[in-house]
Amino acid sequence: MDLTIVTFLPVVAAAIIMLLPQQQEQNAKYVALLFALAGLAYSLVLFAGFDIHASGYQLVENNKWVDIGQFELRYHLGVDGLSMPLVLLTTFLTVAAVLVSFSIKLRPRLYFAMLMLLSTSVIGVFVSVDFMLFFLFWELELFPMFLLIAIWGSGRKEYSATKFVLYTIAGSAFMLLGILALAFSANTFDIEVLSQSEIKDAIFPLSWVFLFLFIGFAVKLPIVPLHTWLPDAHGDAPTAVSVMLAGVLLKMGGYGLIRMCVSILPATADDYSVWLAGIGAFSVLYGAFVTLRQTDVKRLIAYSSVSHMGLVLLGIGAMGKESMMGATYQMLAHGVVTGMLFTSVGLMYERTHTREIARLGGLARQMPLIATGLVFAGFASLGLPALAGFVAEVTVFLGSFERYEWAVLLSLGGVVLSAGYILWTMQRTMFGPVRHDWDGLTDAKAWWEHAVVLGLAASVILLGVYPALMMDMIGPALDPIVQRLPA
Amino acid sequence: MLFLAEPAHAAAIPTIKEPMLWAILLAPLVGWGLIVLSFRKVPGIAGYIAIAAVGTACALSYFALFNAIDADGGIRQYTHEWYTAGKLTVPLGVRLDGLTAVMLVVVTTVSTLVQIYSTGYMSGDPGYGRYFAHMCLFTTSMLGLVLADNLFQIFIFWELVGLSSYLLIGFWFHKPSAAAAAKKAFIVTRIGDLGLLAGMLLIWTKGGTFDVAGIQELAESGHLEAWVITWFALGIFAGAAGKSAQFPLQVWLPDAMEGPTPVSALIHAATMVAAGVYLVARFFPVFEVSTDAREVVAWIGAITAIMAACIAMVQTDFKRVLAYSTISQLGYMMLALGALGYVAAIFHLFTHAFFKALLFLGSGSVNHSTNTFDMRKMGGLRQHMPVTFWTFVIGSLSLSGIFPLAGFWSKDEILLDAWRENTGLWACAFVVAFMTAFYMFRAIFLTFYGEYKGGEPVDHHDPDNHFHGDPKHPHESPWNMKGPLIVLAVPSIAAGWFAYDHMFADLINGALPAVHEHGSTFSWGIALSSSAVAIAGIGLAWAIYYKQYVTSKSIRDGFAPFAIVFENKFYMDKLYEDLIVRNILQKGWNRLLQLNDIYVIDGLLNGGARVTRQLSTRLRVIQTGQLQTYGLGVAAGVIVLVLAVYTANPL
Repeated sequence: MDLTIVTFLPVVAAAIIMLLPQQQEQNAKYVALLFALAGLAYSLVLFAGFDIHASGYQLVENNKWVDIGQFELRYHLGVDGLSMPLVLLTTFLTVAAVLVSFSIKLRPRLYFAMLMLLSTSVIGVFVSVDFMLFFLFWELELFPMFLLIAIWGSGRKEYSATKFVLYTIAGSAFMLLGILALAFSANTFDIEVLSQSEIKDAIFPLSWVFLFLFIGFAVKLPIVPLHTWLPDAHGDAPTAVSVMLAGVLLKMGGYGLIRMCVSILPATADDYSVWLAGIGAFSVLYGAFVTLRQTDVKRLIAYSSVSHMGLVLLGIGAMGKESMMGATYQMLAHGVVTGMLFTSVGLMYERTHTREIARLGGLARQMPLIATGLVFAGFASLGLPALAGFVAEVTVFLGSFERYEWAVLLSLGGVVLSAGYILWTMQRTMFGPVRHDWDGLTDAKAWWEHAVVLGLAASVILLGVYPALMMDMIGPALDPIVQRLPA
Repeated sequence: MLFLAEPAHAAAIPTIKEPMLWAILLAPLVGWGLIVLSFRKVPGIAGYIAIAAVGTACALSYFALFNAIDADGGIRQYTHEWYTAGKLTVPLGVRLDGLTAVMLVVVTTVSTLVQIYSTGYMSGDPGYGRYFAHMCLFTTSMLGLVLADNLFQIFIFWELVGLSSYLLIGFWFHKPSAAAAAKKAFIVTRIGDLGLLAGMLLIWTKGGTFDVAGIQELAESGHLEAWVITWFALGIFAGAAGKSAQFPLQVWLPDAMEGPTPVSALIHAATMVAAGVYLVARFFPVFEVSTDAREVVAWIGAITAIMAACIAMVQTDFKRVLAYSTISQLGYMMLALGALGYVAAIFHLFTHAFFKALLFLGSGSVNHSTNTFDMRKMGGLRQHMPVTFWTFVIGSLSLSGIFPLAGFWSKDEILLDAWRENTGLWACAFVVAFMTAFYMFRAIFLTFYGEYKGGEPVDHHDPDNHFHGDPKHPHESPWNMKGPLIVLAVPSIAAGWFAYDHMFADLINGALPAVHEHGSTFSWGIALSSSAVAIAGIGLAWAIYYKQYVTSKSIRDGFAPFAIVFENKFYMDKLYEDLIVRNILQKGWNRLLQLNDIYVIDGLLNGGARVTRQLSTRLRVIQTGQLQTYGLGVAAGVIVLVLAVYTANPL
């Protein structure tokens, strides 16, 4: 029951929130916070009780769900060292997302219910061990995301919400084809079974199946050139949605690549590894170059995410245990770091109501705390040691260098470019002479603003100085995957 | 792992234990924590906390030095494990040897004096507490860098000193020039760091270790292919060139003078910029093996030393003379390393740290009284600021290499090593010795002699200006600024005597697995010729700027093409910032990719969407059922795909 509780706790919150009477609607945030904290606490307990020496799934729940002829869909949940940290990341960022939404006044009941539903769908993706169940949660996420961007967003919000949904659905169509092909080949949807069997060509050659699954996950990650939905979605989404989108939704793509593409089709993945590494390095550089051209802070962070997610793909593409550990760590690190970047920018935007870099400047005087948060997150994002991103980046580089040293050397370019766009952004938004347009704006004062910034900063430092906490868990989970790869 | 060198003779002082080595690094970190917790409520105590914290590290460092001297610089190493990922084990450890001990003493001594000085220089600044917090963070990072026993950890602290440098250069972040300079320093040094990172990836992949001793042994054993050694060495040097402002990455250091002057003294003169020299020395056995890499180091050093000295001769900004002088002297040290002068380079690093910190703090003292660094607004300060004047002269004589001051001994060792290695390198070093003496005394005559020209009026509308006193009536600085000047004058005179009886060489050589000695460390020919050339440089400055036998303007006009190139810093900033960054990257390449996103990728998508919409309108006419737009998209997509696949690949 443990994983069922963690997964569906937010849905219970959503139901309670929707049942709140009209005059109580401002209390929706407290209900959401209470349940988000409960979910975080519960997943922390599960994390603490997790056996890091075992490599298989733990906390397994495996029940019959639907029978359709030769196939059986099962309600099969479980976590291993790969998914447990991502579940924790999701419950943690859910709390952050609720806190940064405390100033939401427009239709708070629907807003917080959708935020909670989003949380459930993402957790569901990470704990599903049945591919159809996985797919269901994967698609479920679109509904709250669409509403959250389209109703509470800004700018061209309907366009961006639609673009996001269409892009993902197009990817999902491919993924569904891949899932069906796998099922016809192995007569099961069970990921655990699939990852242990030799998959044969069924409807399609295996390379096609791999490609279909890859496209589905690559859109989410995203890779260049399937990335143009991300800056639009981020640019127009409310802060909390950006936190969730960058923090955990993109990770569904990286998780899927390891969990499905590499572990179910190891030989095929190995054949294509050079492409994965190459596209990864390409995304790192392309994303970084285009980031330098952005004039909107949120779009800028979005493009930097494209660059950072390229490293995830590079690490996966190198197909080594070390490189994939680095890739997984990069997902966690990027989750908290970018969550903090979007949070800080969100707090700033609530005050200035503009994200145009050209209109900002000198804000470190008016809002020193927010500026400190942004600079801190910025340095974490450019990979400063002792903060989360560094361990991830350097592990990916070290793990991938032996197999694809050219891809690593290209990606190193991202190290300089990230310093360029982050520090240039700091210079133009926070530093320089005070602008009198922003006189009278206040710094972060509310308790929830302090709590979210400090909590995220603490997690960034924790991941930066104590990597063993997660690495020791991720490593054993990757062993069976790596063992199936051709030597 | 634990290596204990047998002491050469019975230890006269207690042995240093591992926790004490960690305490050296942690003391300033604790100081940082205390300041962060307290500076909003009681900003005034930040300075005292910093002095106490860094002072503690300093006392422990001297203890470590005496231990190292007892052991003739022998190695003591304690290694732990930070994290593991598969076969990657990242170590975390401390190493004490002669090289570490010398660096510890340099860093903590200068840092302590600079903290004391800063309580005077920074008093009244609104960011007083933040300043000392950053200073403590810097000291921690720098100590972590020199204590590290492995390359991975060196890289970590290497980046962290970059952070503190950024924060302190941009300390007055409301000034656009300071914010820009901070960014530039971080990015330019990071370009060099790419090389360091690549070198680290290479050596781990090929050699399987990060350990300093392990890498040194790998180099000496000859197990690695020659290209690996050479590229590793060049990667290390790329990192070193970034931090130590070597050509072609020297452009950030002059701009870094936007930071408060004590910061320049500590970070951008004495310690952090010398980290590159330390890094090359740390992996010196690798450079010994690779002649190619060593030649690159030597000639880059020579080019840097000459270029920077040329620019220093035409500066009108007092502090920038010192900045270019620092670049030039760092080039000198690199030249020495390239010429196999391992001991000479570190010896010069050691003496240079004291006299260059002294000179910077002296320039700060002058600024404190005149509110400017523009030498055209100074003059005649000798009577008003005697302590600053005399200590500055001592520092300048030491830098110029005048007997028997510290700089004389270390500079001579470099010249001697260069002479033995390659006459061309020696000639470069010799010319630079002349230019150094000239530009330093040019600055002295312009600043301290002649008529006082009034300084810079105080802008009372600037809330960040905390200038006390009146620039019209320059005054000597308070005791907490004079004190460090006087204390630093002592090693500026006497630090060279450390070389007596091979004491320094034995200490430093103890850090190497094997020492390849080459000859004596003194030559009358070198000593006399370099003294002559230094005196000639001083004499020329005296003739032009004191006696004014010829006007400086007529000389400038006589050498106009050169002067213009020097004044424009060889046009390298223009090349980098205007041509490469602004035009080629931002307006060219990056814009091209951005347009690709907007018009090609999204253009295709939106075009596709339009086609789909039109198609669906027609389909709707044919079909009577209602389908959700998105559902239709999915269904159509899947059907088209399945059909396409079947046609291409029938079962």
